[in-house]
This record gives sequence, structure tokens and C-alpha cells, in this order.
Amino acid sequence: MAIRKIAETAFDRLKFACASTGLIVKRPKAVLLFLLSLLVFLYFLTFFRDGSSNWQLIWSGLAFDQKLEVMGRIFPAIAENFCSFYGATIILLSLIQALIIVHLAFAWRHRERDAVLNSASTSGVGAIFGFIALGCPSCGIGLLTPLLSAIAGGAAVALAEGLGYVFTALAFVLLIYSFVKLGYTNYVTIQAAKQK
Amino acid sequence: MQKAIRIGVLVLVIGFLVTLVIFNAINPASPDKDTWNAKMSKGDKNSATHHFVMYTDIFCPYCDKFSDAVAANLEDFEQHYIKDKKILFEIRVTDVNYVNGHSNNSKPAGISAYCAAREGNFWDYYYALLKKIYNDYHSKGIGVDKTAPRIPDLEKSYFYDFVSEINGLDYDKMKTCIENEETLSELDTNTRKAQSKINGGVPHFVFDKYVADGFAGNWNTNYDYKQVKLLMDAGLASK
Repeated sequence: MAIRKIAETAFDRLKFACASTGLIVKRPKAVLLFLLSLLVFLYFLTFFRDGSSNWQLIWSGLAFDQKLEVMGRIFPAIAENFCSFYGATIILLSLIQALIIVHLAFAWRHRERDAVLNSASTSGVGAIFGFIALGCPSCGIGLLTPLLSAIAGGAAVALAEGLGYVFTALAFVLLIYSFVKLGYTNYVTIQAAKQK
Repeated sequence: MQKAIRIGVLVLVIGFLVTLVIFNAINPASPDKDTWNAKMSKGDKNSATHHFVMYTDIFCPYCDKFSDAVAANLEDFEQHYIKDKKILFEIRVTDVNYVNGHSNNSKPAGISAYCAAREGNFWDYYYALLKKIYNDYHSKGIGVDKTAPRIPDLEKSYFYDFVSEINGLDYDKMKTCIENEETLSELDTNTRKAQSKINGGVPHFVFDKYVADGFAGNWNTNYDYKQVKLLMDAGLASK
């Protein structure tokens, strides 16, 4: 019974969070912030989607214009995300992150500082898990694998594959939790403002 | 109290990530001068001033994107890099994906690559096999990333039924070599050696002092070849 009640409460809060999102993103500034955040998260998640090869190119001895080329090549790669399930995961992660940023900005403006700090730390951890989970652990290519190989040696790749899925799931859970919590707080703020 | 726990967790996770980045950055480059199998290299060993090694697994899609891009632009790659820049380009074939339990196909593919090298035409066989895998699976979205459907376990005949089309390879010799796993010990030895040099995954590139993991491509050989050139230039700039 208790679990059912928690689930119902969580579902209700999710509905309120979605409702507050609808109200907040009506404002042009919020739309702009949402699009900018979405682009930034999509860019960085795509930058690391195939492991650290782009990062290594940026820190190599390449000429400045070639480094710009490395950074520019991410934009067509962003479009590719729409063609695979893996890419869809990246898009979904970026969407939730961007929505959280919009909610964070709204809550900050309405002096809900505690809610902002709590949600920022939770969504921050979620975002980091999202980055760590990227790559192709089956091939051993991912941000997680090199460190694991230092700890677990040859078993690193097998470990990385399992942990990669765990981190992806954790990233989604933490981000959705932050979104619901912050969205609900903002919903209450909006309703209170209406009553005033 | 709750806030302190949150901050603690955040610091731990950020610390983990920073350690990861630092570990990647200081990963020592140790290019060894000798080729593991001379027939799996291109370029003149005696006059070469650069040594570019690619650790690969034939059933690693990221490795295949690199090699497919090179195969599609082979003339340019050989002229502008191998010859002009005096590069010794070597491929070290492993079956790390088999060893790590990710693909049973890696083992016969690795064996067949060493069989082709022993029979005298590794390069044509390697590119023909990759083309076959691309046409049969990768082009259909199979085995292209971690969320894509996996390539099914293939019969050994998959790795030799096309060799009669390749100059310099004898069908019967290749069939016998692959069926009897005659090059298994060489594959095992090289995979063990490779595991001690790579960070756990392939493709792993060691180009003089430049070390890189992974390959950001999209199966478009023109787009991917530009990434190959950036990688080559990064390697050349490291010396």
C-alpha cells in the first residue's frame, strides 16, 4: 500500500512538473535558455559519444585551425544522433538536462535557493553519470574503461559494459528525480503567485 | 546533514571524473619500433621516420570505420602518408572482443587475418573481409554500436568462402588454415601482448608519441577519412 501511495504521489508530482514546464517555457527567454542548454549538452555528449578520441585530438599537436575542425565536426554528428537508439539516448539525456536548467533558472529567480542547490547537485551527479556511461564498452572505448583497466586490468572491458548500463540508468533516475522535484517546487511557486 | 552528503557525493563523482581525465592525459606513450608481424605493415621499415600502430579487433565497429575509410582512400593514404611522410603503418590484430566475451566472431576473424598474412596477402584480405562485414551487417545497422543488434555467431566458412577472388591467396590453404586454427597461438600471443599496452579497448592508436583511443566516425568514408587525416596529422605533430 505504501509503495502504491508513493508511486501515486510521484506520478502526481510528475504531472505538476510537466504542467509547470508548460507554463515556464511559454516565455521567450526560457525558450532561448532551453534551446541553448539543449545545444550545449547535445554538443558535449556527442563530443564524447565515441570515447575520448576527440578530446585527445584537441590536446594533440594539431594546428589551431585543425582543432577548430575537430570541434566543428561535432555538429553533423549531432544530427546523426537522430538515426540510432544510442543517439536517441543522448538526445533524451540532453532534453532532460535542458529542462532542468530552465527550471533551475526559474527557481533561482523566484528565490527558491535551497531547491536550486539541492537539485543542481543531484542533476550534476546525473549529468556526470551520463558522460561516464558514454562510449562503446563492448569495444572498450569509453570514458570509464581506461580508469577501470588501471584497477581491474583485463576485466575492465567486461566491467565497463555492465557499469556503463548502470551509469546510464542512474543518470536517467537522478535527472528525472531532479526534474520532478524542481518542477513541482516551481508549480507551487507559480500557483502561489497566481493566488497573490 | 543531507546537504553535506550531497556535496560529498558530488565531490567524489567530480574527483572520479577528474582522475579519469588525468589518467587519460598522462597515459604513457610507448611506441615500440619492431613490427609484430611484418606482413601486417605498410611502408619501408628501414627508411621510415614514423611508426604508426593500430591495435584492432576485426569485430570492433570503431576500428572498422577507420579501416573502411582508409580502404576507400587507399591511394591518397599510401601516397601522402606512408610514402611522403615515411610512415611505417602497422596493424596489430587481436581478438580482445572474444577474450572479453563480447563477440565469438573475433576469434575466427583474428585467426583468418594471420592466415592471410602467412599466405602472403594480408592487406587485400583484410579490406575484403571488412567490406564483406560492412555489406552483410554494418550497412544494415547490425553490430554498429552498443545498442544495435549483435552480429550472429558466424561459421568459419564465412572467413574463407570469398578468398578465391583475392590475388595471391589459395582457397584450399586458407580453408585448411582457418578450419584447423593454425594461427591461433600467434593470435593469442599478440592479444595478450596488446592487452598490456592498450587501455582495455580498441581501436588503440600509437603514432610516435601520440596515443589515442576510439575513432569518431559515421560510416561515411569521406567524412571518416577526414577524421583519419586529423589523427595522422596529430601523430605527425607529436614527434
